[in-house]
Amino acid sequence: MRNVGKWLAYSTLGLVAALTLLGCAGGAINWNQEPPYSLNLAWGEKGSGPGQFDDPTGIAVTDTEVFVSDARNGRIQVFDHQGHFKREFGTPGDGIGELGRPMNLTIHDDKLYVPEYMNDRIQVFSLAGEPLSAIGSPGKGPGQFNAPGGVAVADNGDLFVVDFYNHRVQHLKADGSFVKQWGTTGKTGRGAGEFTYPTDVALGKDGTLYVADGYGNRVQAFDTTGDFLRKWGGPFAIGLYGPFKGWFTTTTSIALGPNGEVFVADFYNDRIQKFTARGDYLTAFGTPPENPGHTAMAVDVGRDGAVWSVNFADNRVEKWKAINP
Amino acid sequence: MFKKWFLMLAALVFSVAALAADKHYVLGVDGLACPFCAYGIEKRLNKVDGVTGVEVDVGKSTVRVTLQEGKPFSEERARQAVEEAGFTLRSYSEVEGETGGSDVQ
Repeated sequence: MRNVGKWLAYSTLGLVAALTLLGCAGGAINWNQEPPYSLNLAWGEKGSGPGQFDDPTGIAVTDTEVFVSDARNGRIQVFDHQGHFKREFGTPGDGIGELGRPMNLTIHDDKLYVPEYMNDRIQVFSLAGEPLSAIGSPGKGPGQFNAPGGVAVADNGDLFVVDFYNHRVQHLKADGSFVKQWGTTGKTGRGAGEFTYPTDVALGKDGTLYVADGYGNRVQAFDTTGDFLRKWGGPFAIGLYGPFKGWFTTTTSIALGPNGEVFVADFYNDRIQKFTARGDYLTAFGTPPENPGHTAMAVDVGRDGAVWSVNFADNRVEKWKAINP
Repeated sequence: MFKKWFLMLAALVFSVAALAADKHYVLGVDGLACPFCAYGIEKRLNKVDGVTGVEVDVGKSTVRVTLQEGKPFSEERARQAVEEAGFTLRSYSEVEGETGGSDVQ
């Protein structure tokens, strides 16, 4: 009888230790957590008119405007910060100024960078909507894309493009010429510096490159020279998915806050998760879907710290604000 | 006499039109809720010779494919295209008219 008791005690202790280890490794246990953000504003519904969406898939904000990828309508819609429609540009197609499923948006130096999933290119627009240039072509060679999902732009104009079906991130010059890549073209991987359908990328002020490794269910970070720094998402960030704090089930978008915090759209868990630059879990927030599908598709952060996201299933734009303690 | 000829002509026109109609297929494919997935399968299937339309139903997790008459789209061809897009084909059926989506098992 005494042996059974001892066995039970050791088993319980072992289980607690294993769960603690998993929790720490997955980011669930972190004493500096924050309260969730609260929904401050939302607008939109399914349709093709102004303020309506048919698959919103990307978002980018300036100090005064909100740009939204309206994928199936083949256009970018622009709103003010109160959700009032201002203008739109683009029509479905593959010509200059036309759009084939625009995805995660980036604004840099008063230009809008639009990755086009169907047209395998990055199209650059003025913020007024005038097409300026197009970078890339379909394929798996250097400087070519197979479904680009997101782009980041360095101060010198260099581009970092996630190439979804080629399982890589490419570093290109502003004219589209190839510099280098992370990941093996066309091959998925779960190790450091390997990708499984990456979806988006963000560049920190210190030059750190953060990659949303979509179906790798994790975030990977690289330094300015391209060396791997760290990864997080579930135990040891080896691709396990789940609904727990610090875990992901398909990361579809990534953005950085004014102080370097990392915000990640955790699509199948219907939430945005917030981390420190080191990958420590801080908080999570989101809306459950009212229609079939999932909500947390894309995210961006304003200079004032407000978080903007697109709700894919319900065809809405949402604005979130931190709850001050 | 004229009435008989008219009826025969009308029947001929109707049968030719029926023969020339597009063919519809419904593919069951899991994991299509994310647009990165749904667009990928749409992009791949649109490259199949003769495909004139691809519609993804996220709720039912099905893909409805429309092909020109006379263009083959066997289950094996569908499976290959679906796998190249990174998915597994769960079901395949040829359907009639516009309401065939419910035929998928």
